[in-house]
Amino acid sequence: MATEYYLRMGDGKRVSMSKDKIKEEAIAGAGNAVDYGLVPDLSADEIDKIIEICIMPGKAVAVEFGMEVPVTHDIGTIRLDGDQGNSGVGIPSSRLVGMMMHERAFGADTMELGHIDYSFKPVKPIVSNECQMMEVAQQNMIVPLFYGAMPNMGLYYTPDGPFENPGDLLKAFKLDEAFASMEHSAEHLTRDIVWIMQKLMASGADGVNLDTTAAAGDADAYATLNAVKALREEFPDMYIEVGMAGESIIGMHGMLEFEGKILAGLWPHQQIGLVEKAGANVFGPVVNTNTSRSFPWNLARAITFTKEVSKISNIPLHVDMGMGVGGIPMLETPPIDAVTRASKAMVEMTGIDGI
Amino acid sequence: MDKQIVLDELKKAMLSCKADVIMAAVKSAVDAGMPSGEIIDGLAAGMTEVGDQFERGKLFLPHVMMAANGMQKAVETLDMGEAGATIKKVIINGTVEGDVHDIGKSIVSTMLQSSGFEVHDLGRDVPIAKFIEAVKEYNADMVGLSALMTTTLNGQRDVIELLKANGLRDKVKVMVGGAPATTAWAEKIGADCYAENATEAVEKAKALLL
Repeated sequence: MATEYYLRMGDGKRVSMSKDKIKEEAIAGAGNAVDYGLVPDLSADEIDKIIEICIMPGKAVAVEFGMEVPVTHDIGTIRLDGDQGNSGVGIPSSRLVGMMMHERAFGADTMELGHIDYSFKPVKPIVSNECQMMEVAQQNMIVPLFYGAMPNMGLYYTPDGPFENPGDLLKAFKLDEAFASMEHSAEHLTRDIVWIMQKLMASGADGVNLDTTAAAGDADAYATLNAVKALREEFPDMYIEVGMAGESIIGMHGMLEFEGKILAGLWPHQQIGLVEKAGANVFGPVVNTNTSRSFPWNLARAITFTKEVSKISNIPLHVDMGMGVGGIPMLETPPIDAVTRASKAMVEMTGIDGI
Repeated sequence: MDKQIVLDELKKAMLSCKADVIMAAVKSAVDAGMPSGEIIDGLAAGMTEVGDQFERGKLFLPHVMMAANGMQKAVETLDMGEAGATIKKVIINGTVEGDVHDIGKSIVSTMLQSSGFEVHDLGRDVPIAKFIEAVKEYNADMVGLSALMTTTLNGQRDVIELLKANGLRDKVKVMVGGAPATTAWAEKIGADCYAENATEAVEKAKALLL
């Protein structure tokens, strides 16, 4: 009987697989990326490397000496004191303490100030508080400190915002009204991102992390890229990181273009060029984890997509690695065996610059 | 009449997503003597392909709606005989209480509606009792429950428990979805299925209801 290795499914469930089965899954996962993204397949050596990492005996694994990369955190500001069953661990602490803990105790290479709603729109009425916090944090910290939030264009649609919900309009076959609603929302989102970041930059921010871009589809991406472009023109030295919400930009609108390219349906390797043109410094590509598939399947798929982004990119890539992305299973606390294996494979095989 | 050629034309027309092209293809099929049921099967195959192209990022949500609209108009022109009285399967869809995420659930509703189901989208942050009321009001065949946060997943279980308490659980199928939901979670709470994305939601709804 062949030796079995403990791995996981995309939902975190423990499973055991033979080496042959791992290979079969990895080839199938890479093949899925090739099929959907029309990207080059992995070589036999690369499949072997994935297998090698999957079957390493340690519970946790690490990158080889000299291959360490920077790690950045998104919502770490409030991760310590979150106590409602979310990502937090319930330690009473201020946002400043949260950020300083990440800098001085957890080894974060950059950090960001974030707000509990973590979206630009709700920051508008409290921007003065955020500016004060940014000033205080900058006086206490050394690592680059950004302001982080999600574009989250869904907040501009009813019932949260002034524009009629395009989801409802599309269901009613009111296509023109749906397009208009998305276009108006995008104008407001661009304006809000720029306005908020003007205030935060005046308060000493080193830059911005636009987290989960395109969560509301192509209009969300359109608004965000236009905000990046405007910010770059106004702040030539500002650090701008664009992280994605998912692997493909959902075509809610379908006809919106940025720099002459339709945004809907773009995969990570097709997104990077536009992010560069907009003026971002760093791109955070996402490859989603399929919970019904195995860890080797998901990892090989994520590597195949990311390798192509890395090949094309002219700016640093900080790949999204966490709950349900980058080959890592969908679990509230992602299992260390999968997190470290996926991270090692991503860093050593794709040439990314950070996580 | 070469049946396969006519079916291919119907599928091609659906992929154009244009109502006039779909109507013309259906008229040609009728003129060629194809029975209404087979024409609808051909259109449905095209709609499935439209869904697949959406998942691949080749077609977008407005295309899906345009194709569905064209198919609906074309079907209305067909003489369905007794089959015309077929009642659509009814699906209640919503994001559970405490969770304000709307977009993924709306895409699922749109795709289900495009595939011929009667969908009642209750929106997001829906109190669990409202799902029960809707199941009774619309005599639903399925309930779709979305949750995008680990903190609101339990709402899916709560709806299932309330369905049981109201004696409705055996009358409806329950589908769960959303980023933190998984097949294991669906099994744990006694849902009938879990769907990874909108295309899979349509496939599983068809498998369970048709």
